[in-house]
Parts: sequence; C-alpha cells; structure tokens
Amino acid sequence: MAEIGQTPSSNSGSPPPQDGRDEARGVWFVAEHKDGKLDESSFFLAGEGRGLADKLSEELSVVIIGHQVMDLAEPFSRHAVDKALLVQDPILEKYSSYAFVDALTQLVESNRPSMVLLAATPLGNDLAPRLAAKLRVALVARYTQIDVEKDKRLLVQRVIHGGKAQATVSPLKKPMVATVDPRLLTTPRPKPPKNMAIVEARVRVDPKASRTRLLDYLKADPCTLCVSEAEIVIGVGKGLRSADNLRAVEELAHVLGASIGGSRRATDERWIPDDRRIGLTGKTIAPRLYLICGISGAFHHTLSIKGSQLMLSVNTDRNAPITKLADMAVVGDMHEVVPELTRQLRDMLKPAT
Amino acid sequence: MRLLQQRFCRTLTDRMRTVVCVKQIADPTTIRFNIETRALDNVHDIMDPLDEVAISEAMRIRGKNGGEVVAVSVGPPRTQAVLRSALRMGADEAIHVCDELCDHLDAHSVSVILARLISGLQYDLILCGRESSDEGNSFLGAGLAEFLDLPLVTSSTRIDIFADTRTAIVHRRVKGGDREIIESPLPAVFTVESVLCKPTYPPLRTILAGDKRQIRELDLKALKLDLKDIEPTVAILGISQPKPRLKKTATIDSSLSPAERIRLITAGGAQQKSSKIVEKLPKAAVADIIRFLVDNGLISTQK
Repeated sequence: MAEIGQTPSSNSGSPPPQDGRDEARGVWFVAEHKDGKLDESSFFLAGEGRGLADKLSEELSVVIIGHQVMDLAEPFSRHAVDKALLVQDPILEKYSSYAFVDALTQLVESNRPSMVLLAATPLGNDLAPRLAAKLRVALVARYTQIDVEKDKRLLVQRVIHGGKAQATVSPLKKPMVATVDPRLLTTPRPKPPKNMAIVEARVRVDPKASRTRLLDYLKADPCTLCVSEAEIVIGVGKGLRSADNLRAVEELAHVLGASIGGSRRATDERWIPDDRRIGLTGKTIAPRLYLICGISGAFHHTLSIKGSQLMLSVNTDRNAPITKLADMAVVGDMHEVVPELTRQLRDMLKPAT
Repeated sequence: MRLLQQRFCRTLTDRMRTVVCVKQIADPTTIRFNIETRALDNVHDIMDPLDEVAISEAMRIRGKNGGEVVAVSVGPPRTQAVLRSALRMGADEAIHVCDELCDHLDAHSVSVILARLISGLQYDLILCGRESSDEGNSFLGAGLAEFLDLPLVTSSTRIDIFADTRTAIVHRRVKGGDREIIESPLPAVFTVESVLCKPTYPPLRTILAGDKRQIRELDLKALKLDLKDIEPTVAILGISQPKPRLKKTATIDSSLSPAERIRLITAGGAQQKSSKIVEKLPKAAVADIIRFLVDNGLISTQK
C-alpha cells in the first residue's frame, strides 16, 4: 500500500493529510430514506457491507443523514451492523446535494473509514462522485464484486462497455467511495438483534453555503411518466383487442400508480402512443413490477423487460413464452382479471385512505 | 480563480459561452471481448451518445442566447475524431488535450486535466454527460465542479438559461421519475441525462463548415501539467470477459419429460426460475395476485 503515502498533487487543492498514523478502518454505508421510511436498498447494502467488513475484519457502520432520524437506526441492529452514525440537523431534513456532501465529508475526515458504500440510486449517483471529488479519493461506480487480497488490497470488478467486458480496478486512496446496484445484491435475511452502538456525530453545515437552491419538487405523474423511469409498469399487447378496453387498464394503473406501456402491436394499433412501446424498437424497462397483460412474450419484447424485478403476466394461453419468464403467471382473460384486480385493490386501500 | 470568472462574465454580458466535454468511446453495440487475444474486438469509435445530447443542448442554448460552443476532450491523437464530430454538429471551437500519455487515464486524472484546460478558457456553462457509456464512472462532472469551484447539478433533464441574471433553472431526475427543480448561478457544471433533448442531425452546411474548422491541439506541457504530479485514485488493472450474471435457478422438476430436462440442463438453467402458474377463476386468481404483491412489498395492507 505504498501508493497511499504518495505526496499529494499540487494542483488539486488541499487533500486530507496522509500522516499514516492511524490507518483508515471501517466499512460504512449510507442509508437512504424518505419521509421517515428507509429505502429497501439500505438493507441490501447492510448485507453487502457485512460481508466486506468480515473479510477486512473491520467494523460495519451505517450512516444516516437527516433530521430526527433516531428511529431509523433501530432496524439495522437486526442486520448485524456494529454502529450507527447519525447526522441530525434541521437543514438536512430534505435532500440537498451540497449539505449532504458537506456533512458526509466532515464525518469521513474525522472518522476515517476505509470504504463508503452507497446504492446506485439517483441519490447515491449524485452523492458518490461529489464525495469522492471533495475528498480526492477513489470512486468506483456500480461495482459488481469486491475481493479482498491477502494484504487487504481491494480488487473491484465492474462492468464496462455496456456489459461487453469487465474491468478490474483497485482504489489507490482510502477511503474508497463505491456505489453498487442494489438489484444485484441478494435479499438480506434479518438476524437476531444485536447491540448496536448509536453515535450522534457532530457536524456543522452552513445553510447559506450552498450555491444552488431547490425551488420545487415535482412528483412524477405515472400517466405521463416515461416507462423506462417508472417503478410499476403495466404492459398491454394483442390481448387488449381494442382501444376501448384500455380504460380498464388505465383504472388499474391509477390505483397502482403505474405507467402503461405496451408491445409493438399495441403501438401499431394506436392503442397507446409510440413512445410507450417496450421492446427492441422501443424502450427498455427495469421497474420493480411489470404487470404484463395479453402479451405472449415474443423475443422482441422480452429482450427489453429482463431488468424488471418482478414480472406478473395475465394471459389466456398457458403455453405462451411469457408464462415461463414471469414470476407469477395467471392463466386467464385480462378483461376479467384486470377489472377484478382494480376492484379488490380499491377495496383494500379504501378504508384507510 | 473566481475573480477571473467574474471578470469574464461581465465582458460577455448576455452571450453564453458553453464548454462541452466530449469523449470518444467504442460503440457498445458492436464491441466484443475476444477471449483468445484478451482484448476488445470490433471497436468502432463514436461520440458518447450522452455527449451528443450535451452538444445539442449547447447548440439550443446558443440559438437562444447567442454565444459560442466549445468542445473539449482529452486523449491520444486517435481520439481526435470525436472533436471533428463535435465541430460537424455545429460547435464553434474544439480543443484537444492531445498527448500519447493521456491514454487509459483514470477519471480523476482526466478531471484534473480538463479542469486545468477549462480554467484557462472563458465560459459561462460547462456541460458533460452524466456518465460515459463505456466506463460509466460518472466522476467528471463532480470533479470539474470541485476543482473549478463551481456549482454542480447532476442528471439534468431540462435546462433554462437566464442570461440577463446569470442564473439557470434546471430540472434534475430523482427516484421514481420525480424531478427536482434547482436554481443555480452561472457559471456552473451541469451533467446531462439522455432525455434532456434529442440529438439533432446538423444541416449539410454546418457539417461542411465543421470540416474546415481547426482543432486546437495542446499537450500536457502547454497546460503546465505533468502526469507524475497527478495522482491517480484508481488503478485500472485489466479487463476480462464479463461474467454472466448470477441467476436464480430452480432445481429441475423431475416430473418433466427427459427431453425437457435435457433442454433445461443444456440451457445452463438460465432464466428457469420457478414461475408460479395460477389457473383459477378471476376472483381467486386476483386474491393470489394481491398476496403476491403484498409479499413482495409492492403494496401494503395498512396504507
């Protein structure tokens, strides 16, 4: 690890001192949360971080940044996390790139972890490069695997050239800031709770220092949202039969908060607009749920839906290719199943809202 | 540094000078990893599609506010074609940090070099892709903003420039298709998302004019930089064949016919995840669907 002791570059400002007295130790991951709820990706990171911390025989800590986030730390005690670092400040209530990076930078500089993991979500993708740039350390975006050598050197695999090759890289400066696609990680299983230290970190974030200002937040309207960005997509195909039948699907989409897309047939028939076509000649999607109605699953379509986390198909043909591909395949007529699903979902969600 | 910027801003009044960082990449649709030579085959050099978006957006801003578009790139001489493409798309100027040493640099070093180059230029706005389509480090924007001490907005999906007040209002992509609307003073660095605009096909006159323009070449010496002083943060050790992604495989069902079982085994078990088939009346089937949605955390019962 001789590289770490190199003289800092003269033109890149003032990097943190490399005194080498206390070596950087500890695996950190940043928990993502919104409106008082933890994002699922945080638990995936906990599982991934645990594995790495064990290989390095270092501590695993979760960093939670926000305002009044004490309650959010508790679930991590069931995921074998050793320490929770809380950064609480009213300024940090809403995500602001500047304030979050500032807080995280101070925290890293005073505690010196060896690794900071973030999920490759829009938030992580914004935060990670800023943090790495500010600390003048290594950024490894969307890694697929980290191996720890005998001398504790990290060998990181990542996919390059759109999946056609794989690169092996090694960070030269600690801490390494890394992002990982949570979809690649395995579902964590809760373990028996253990004692987790909760530490409230003191940082000072100047609210006036940020030069950019958040003016407004636009909530996505699933009806107009591009299918490639949607969390839930309903796909319609030949089984829709006519444009009039789309109304039932739209009602379901409204209840589920889904975007409607479709196969080439659905766009050619002008049932849905061209920019909602999913497939080889249209968009590629990767939602959390893809609800497939009346699409048999021709290669041209399925090629672009493989990123979906869950696929649920409704099709009259038991032998359609989509039946094998979907996580759950309902053999039935979409014109019966879709309105029924809408009805039952409405009943379920009504009393409480 | 900042004083300098302010002076430039005053002299330029309403005209926008946009610097666009472009990268030459190997077309990811044609490239192949050759197992025998352990190198990449079928390399067709193209401009990164996201950089095309950035150039087109810069062109749109120029059309509205006037000013110039400057394309910049770092790399060995063979990567100069990307700047020619930028000129053909309508960029006014192209500057190439052209040095044989600038091959296979890590993202940090590239940002340091580009930041040094850009600091010597006049600019009101810097655009670059959110991440490159080959390496996808997504570092350049953050690096430039840090080294040049500029505000940064990532994943822009819409940019509105107000040249008179020297501000910009930018929409940026966040989770689930939501958008944040951010106000930023200029000069600033914005990284662009592919939905920002559709790259336009330039008219023939622009293409021909682009062919005639000179590409300014600078080497590291001209920038008073020495690669030895730039500490890389990541060592690139090598490339290999991509590993197939691990897929959930189901144990082969013994009730299947031998032919089907052989097919499953030879297919490597890929995609043979256990799909649950429901053949019930609609009402019962829907109850199953709802259970499936609840079990997978897509809807919650106590909402």
